[in-house]
Amino acid sequence: MKKKFFKGFAVAAAVALGAGLAVTPAQAANEIVVWADETRGPNLVKTLAAKSDWVPGYKVTVKSFANFDALKDAIDKATATTGPDIVVGANDWVATLAKNGKLAPLTLTASQRARFSSSQFYDLSYKKKLYGIPVDVNNVAMIYNTKLVSSAPKTFGDMVDYYKANKASKNLKAGLCVAGGGMSWGAHSVFSALGADAYYFNSNGTINKSKSFNPNEFGANVKKFLLDGKKSNGFFPATDTGCKDNFLAGTVPFAIIGNWEWEDYKAKGFTMNLMPVPGATASNPGKAFGSVSGALLTTFAASNGVEAAAKSLLVDFFGSTAGQVAYQKFEKRPPAEKGAASDASVTDGQKGFGASANAASIPQVGAILNGASGSKSYWDSAPAYWTAVLVDGKDAVAEAKKLATIWRNNLRGAANDI
Amino acid sequence: MITAIIRGKVALAIKLVLVAIVTAVLLTLSQSAFAKGEYAIAGFLFIAILLINFTYFSKRTVPLKFFLPGILLLTAFVLTPILYTLVMSTFNYKTGNYISKEEAIGRIQALALEPDENASVFDIVVGEYQGSPAILVSDINNNAYFISTPDQRFPVSNAAITADEYGVARSAPEFTPLESGDISSSKAAKERYYFDGTYFIAVENLNAGAVFRQSLEYLPQQDVFRSLITGDIYRDNNNGNYANENDKAEILEPGWRDPTWFSNYIRLFNDERVRNPLISVFIWTMVFATLTVLTQFSFGLLLALALNKPIRGRRIYRSILVLPYAMPSVMSILIWGGMFNTEFGAINEILGRDIAWFQDPTFARAAVILVNLWLGFPYFYLVSSGALQAIPSELLEAAAIDGANARQIFRKVTLPLLLQILSPLLIASFAFNFNNFNLIYLLTGGGPRNQLDGEIAGATDILISYTYQIAFGNNLQDLGLASAISVLIFFLVASISLYGVRKSKVLESFS
Repeated sequence: MKKKFFKGFAVAAAVALGAGLAVTPAQAANEIVVWADETRGPNLVKTLAAKSDWVPGYKVTVKSFANFDALKDAIDKATATTGPDIVVGANDWVATLAKNGKLAPLTLTASQRARFSSSQFYDLSYKKKLYGIPVDVNNVAMIYNTKLVSSAPKTFGDMVDYYKANKASKNLKAGLCVAGGGMSWGAHSVFSALGADAYYFNSNGTINKSKSFNPNEFGANVKKFLLDGKKSNGFFPATDTGCKDNFLAGTVPFAIIGNWEWEDYKAKGFTMNLMPVPGATASNPGKAFGSVSGALLTTFAASNGVEAAAKSLLVDFFGSTAGQVAYQKFEKRPPAEKGAASDASVTDGQKGFGASANAASIPQVGAILNGASGSKSYWDSAPAYWTAVLVDGKDAVAEAKKLATIWRNNLRGAANDI
Repeated sequence: MITAIIRGKVALAIKLVLVAIVTAVLLTLSQSAFAKGEYAIAGFLFIAILLINFTYFSKRTVPLKFFLPGILLLTAFVLTPILYTLVMSTFNYKTGNYISKEEAIGRIQALALEPDENASVFDIVVGEYQGSPAILVSDINNNAYFISTPDQRFPVSNAAITADEYGVARSAPEFTPLESGDISSSKAAKERYYFDGTYFIAVENLNAGAVFRQSLEYLPQQDVFRSLITGDIYRDNNNGNYANENDKAEILEPGWRDPTWFSNYIRLFNDERVRNPLISVFIWTMVFATLTVLTQFSFGLLLALALNKPIRGRRIYRSILVLPYAMPSVMSILIWGGMFNTEFGAINEILGRDIAWFQDPTFARAAVILVNLWLGFPYFYLVSSGALQAIPSELLEAAAIDGANARQIFRKVTLPLLLQILSPLLIASFAFNFNNFNLIYLLTGGGPRNQLDGEIAGATDILISYTYQIAFGNNLQDLGLASAISVLIFFLVASISLYGVRKSKVLESFS
């Protein structure tokens, strides 16, 4: 029996070894591994196929994931033996990944920093250390339908007046709605236009750690512009459901749209009527989040022995004019790097959103927005305000006071991290 | 003929091939797991290979040949997750405390680099100088060049260097540059090069070096970090972080997964931010599971009774009634979600109302029960129909002869017998709905919850969706606490099921 058992096991093991040895994935010594999502990954592959010697002596391998969530899940679970050297991801991953020891900092020269707007580094920093290179700008801007509105509104009130005057005659379903970015990220410009920025800046460009919005003023503006008594006046819906379709169908005159979906609007014949959301007063337009996607350096680069090379790839490819122009030729998002943003090859759509961001934007600081020292993060509390006031009919000022307390506590909680 | 073939050498060959294939797959997975440092998985797979080979090539273990696949799968996919969850519930496994202590110490040391006042970064060439790792540094702003080794700094005159068009030195006497492809993995890339005694130059990338000083040092004997700038001591706070002795709130990041034993369980009872929502969620979970079973069973039974009588078109009715069960539940839930939409939903259209179904706690709970009734009644209709057929007609006839009316027959004969037959299914349904994550997650997301008042649990959150909310619901995850709640759910469901099983005495037939 023993003889038979060992004979059987020997045959089985032989087959197994043959199969097993054939699949031994290991990172080569001179290989830099980059992880990206389902659109950025293939576009990086195309870019690197056209020119591969961004870091002489090193081969760059790109692994694409099925979607952004799958990529986030993978980087969350990555270990020293499985993780990438660089991951192209969202700016709001930085605080969490750095906290969990998954990201490594990098240092840029003054000239390398000068290639970017200083606010873009806020997005990719945690506890005053920079963890990546800004790759492309993600922002929203307000578009208006020129078939309905002849000229750009100057104040928030202009838009509300137009809506009230034309609601019935033009069968309008809303006045302004959020088509891109959701009721927290995308709607920040509406909060801001009515007087509630997520945080404020000092004149020297640093974040003011003690200032938060005035809930009485903001609540009063909400009452004035968005409510009819206790009920919503219909100008600004509490959800983004149907906004894009309604705008494209001509039943909403103003919409906040994302730069990633510009082609859809262009295909429907819309031109570049982009602008910030006008403020309660003409001189204070609403600031949209002008966030960036980043190429982030991981701690695994050091364990793979390619940290210096990975940093070179970040600086010389992801952070250079030539690299971003080459990459954005395929990716078609507004490049973060200044030289690339002004390059002739960048499309009107990319430039239009970039111009709107320059007019009124606020950097997305993950340490504040993701924090929950105030019991809820910005992302959870912001849409809850719209629901409470516009759907549930709760008092706009009382709810604004709760919102202000949450945001203020989140700002205080993040004070040491920014 | 076929039996003879299967029993002969052909059978042995087939067995050999099948076992070889299984062994090959498992060995490949084991090797891959080993290469990725997952030693427990690799070990389990290797033991499985040995067991499979021993079992199927030995005559001593005939019964095990039937049980082994089940035992292995049960171990891998039931016992191991339960044990892992149990272990994780005793750790402070949360955002900021993901990695091991050794990794955390390494990361803290790597992060404790403080740039000089000017955040100086120089162009460098990495190589060797007089047999030692060295960098050739170009201080272009000051038009100065030097070579740094880990211990010394050697000035190099401008005349001695060969510079490129930007003024960056590419070579110098006695300095041997490394090839670009060799730098990253070389010892030279990891060295700290002498700058001025306090600060050093670290290789930042293949062409640049940055000036830093170490701000924290780790003292392994005492297991503490000491600030090289303020002298502060950071000690292990037994909660997965090094904390400043003088200010316990000041901790070094990242932290590590540290065993905190029962602290997550204690939080369930002591921390009111956890306890209060947990109590309300538990009550709703019980109500939800009970109401679901009652409504589904009642409606299913009602239909089964109605269609138990010979009526015209009974087959068609029966087929139609099974349809909701045949539809994938995910699709059904999403469709119902759309039907309950406040603005565009069919239900509000029919009612001619503007009910915000998912914004109001009562309406949302009603919607959840209603949708679950739709999803579950066909199952109870089917099993009740079967059970009704199984009740001997003599009993019903005897009751009728004794003068019982239809209602009495149902209450005194049919229902008790039905409950006896269906008790295991009712208990199983209760246990299933106690953990019916899909319905809650897809229909209401656990909401509505009043975020501005700091509510963590939503009105329709059941224990499992609340656990998910804690574990993965936002950027700050607390997997340790979520594991503790999961363990609690496990014991709750197990206790309720066991109690129900004992009460209904359904296992007696197996004894």
